[in-house]
Amino acid sequence: MHPATPPTTDAPVGRAHRTPLPRRRLLRGLLAVTVAAPLMFGAAACGDDDGGAADPNAPVKLSIFWWGGDARAKLTEDALALYTKKHPNVTFEKTWQANQGYFDKLATLTAGGNPPDLFQIDDNYLAEYAARNTTLDLTSYQKSGKLDTSKFPESLWQYGVVDGKLAGLAAGENTQGLVYNKTLLTKNNLPEPTTGMSWEEHIAWAEQVTAKTKVPGTQDPSADYKAFWVWLRQQGKDLYKGSELGFTAEDVTKWFDLWKGARDRKATPTADVIHEGNSSDITKQLVVTGKSATSWVWANQMPDLKKNTKDELGVIAYPGDPSAQWARASMYWSVFKGSKNKDVAVDVINFLNNDQEAVKLLGTDRGLPSNQDLRRVVSDDTTDPAMKQSIAVEAELTQKFGKSPQVPIKGHSKVRSELIKAAENAQYGRATTAEAAAQFIEACKSAIA
Amino acid sequence: MALTTAPDPTRRGPGSDRAHAERRGPGRFRHSEGLAGYVFLSPWLIGLMGVTAIPMLLSLYLSFTNYDILTPFSEVEWVGLANYERMFTADPSYWHAVRVTLTFALIAVPLKLAAALGVALLLNRAWRGVGLFRGLFYLPSLLGGSVALAIVWVNMFNRDGAFNSLLSLFGITGKPWVNDPDWALETLMVLAIWQFGAPMVIFLAGLKQVPTELYEAASVDGAGRFRQFRNVTLPMLSPVIFFNLVLETINGFQGFTAAFVLSNGTGGPVDSTLMYTLNLYITGFTDLNMGYASAMAWVFLLAIAVITAIFFSTGRFWVHYSDGEDR
Repeated sequence: MHPATPPTTDAPVGRAHRTPLPRRRLLRGLLAVTVAAPLMFGAAACGDDDGGAADPNAPVKLSIFWWGGDARAKLTEDALALYTKKHPNVTFEKTWQANQGYFDKLATLTAGGNPPDLFQIDDNYLAEYAARNTTLDLTSYQKSGKLDTSKFPESLWQYGVVDGKLAGLAAGENTQGLVYNKTLLTKNNLPEPTTGMSWEEHIAWAEQVTAKTKVPGTQDPSADYKAFWVWLRQQGKDLYKGSELGFTAEDVTKWFDLWKGARDRKATPTADVIHEGNSSDITKQLVVTGKSATSWVWANQMPDLKKNTKDELGVIAYPGDPSAQWARASMYWSVFKGSKNKDVAVDVINFLNNDQEAVKLLGTDRGLPSNQDLRRVVSDDTTDPAMKQSIAVEAELTQKFGKSPQVPIKGHSKVRSELIKAAENAQYGRATTAEAAAQFIEACKSAIA
Repeated sequence: MALTTAPDPTRRGPGSDRAHAERRGPGRFRHSEGLAGYVFLSPWLIGLMGVTAIPMLLSLYLSFTNYDILTPFSEVEWVGLANYERMFTADPSYWHAVRVTLTFALIAVPLKLAAALGVALLLNRAWRGVGLFRGLFYLPSLLGGSVALAIVWVNMFNRDGAFNSLLSLFGITGKPWVNDPDWALETLMVLAIWQFGAPMVIFLAGLKQVPTELYEAASVDGAGRFRQFRNVTLPMLSPVIFFNLVLETINGFQGFTAAFVLSNGTGGPVDSTLMYTLNLYITGFTDLNMGYASAMAWVFLLAIAVITAIFFSTGRFWVHYSDGEDR
């Protein structure tokens, strides 16, 4: 047993084996390295990076990240392929996923030091990222004309300005849209809702729909920040004023009471169904699942909603004075501040917004094209009826739009989820409207502190 | 999820290696042996360091800062105990999450263990087809904390899900279980209990170990079925019960996937499924308060450690190791 296995021998025996030892050690070391190395470098290789791009023709691989469905992915990939065709040195590393979890992933990528060069973002998070200096200030590119916003509505690109910096460029324009089930109404000889109805009239209309069709007339939007926002603006208030809330507990109570009244009159579904519809998932919107005659969405979501139902849909503005709505940047393209390919990334944004072919490819998937000349071209060209509808409504509303509010502040995403929580507390009858409102205000204060 | 507790079989690695090295005594030779060992070990060691140990220590540091994910490490501010203070004094949703988690664990874990033991007792008999049933009962736990399973569960326990269709056969109008704040957590408990296969298999193995002569002796002494269970089976099984209890409690506290899927990552309806880990995730990744979330994680770790320690210290009063010299 004794010297046959060197690893367990003691020192004196080791001396006897002195000659073969170095070779043996070398072999053993080599073996260990060959086993270990691929595992290590395999992992390390995942994080590799392309260098800077001083030479305009040097190959550039630009990472780009967006949320959306298959349709958006197809359109975006086509548009990016067109860019590569025109600039063969630029290729793209494309990543996309559903909206749910998108911002978790984006934050994680940023924390990991591996954020995409170019990413899609919306007003719910723009201030969070801009305030932390994660986004590149695009102002100098805009001034030098490398980022052309001359054909944009002024208020649209301004809706990307946070603390005086252009943190993101509008990838499209949209506005709040109340989508209703046209087929259901026609079948039951019910009138279609119209833009300009007051909230009371809307609820009365919905009550009538419930009574006649047995389908609840309207989704209860009390948990929906964008509906609450429009309503606030109609009361002369706003969601935010500077770094403060633009409303009080009384306003929230009034808003919750409005909808409590609607629920009591059976104008809305029951709390559990309302809860289902409070999901941000398009496929769960009650107007397409048939659980309500309306849903409160963004106007550019019409084509996507249409894909999920056989019924015909209509879209109008939210109730009340439509001048409370504004030309909102449906989403933005932002460049990561530490990107090594900033100039290229900005050029891609410019291309996606101002190149006629690219804009035609993208259509109205991200909202109406920001470039108004091209917006006209696209609306003349489109054959998709749902897209036509949303363009028509937005074109009509554009005449009535009011001034844009400020971009929501840091902490806004928490404010949104707290509104859902408070509104549902009232909907399930676990709190009075006043209690729920007080709870919401309290939570908001700590969220934006 | 990431907070797995499965014992790592490789953990024995460095310890036993060191033991070898010591036995071998001093010298250059031992050195090279050790080196080769560590080089061979490096893939795992680097993994442990890089993926577990260093991030854990880093999170301890971060729990004393205002780290928000997006800000680079170099600009992170030290805030002392502020995060811990906030947790204990100024965050009602934190305590709500603690309550939800405790409720979940206190109800689901004992019921799951009872179900596992009950079925294990039934399947411990020798009858035709028992193997098939063992497999069938084990199956759900193979599906584990999978997302697909949670999605199925949500659809089964909807207002118009399969479960309510079943109830309607008996003329009962069901509730919108998963969308009802009074029932959503209970639905998750049922899901957890249903997956009793893993502790069941361990109980079965434990039951096989109980010497039959003990039962023979007991029945000679006139003990009935129940007395036999109480005075023979339970004491003999107590180490296995202890093992399952510790493991399942830790698992119960860490429930995340099902709650995340059921509530679309919000802990809803109205925070009724806001489990501790889900609250932690939302705080860190959605609200971007990673420093605060790290503090929550450390308090969680300590709490689990304390609970486990309590189990171990009370264990000597009721856990009976038959192979020991304790009698």
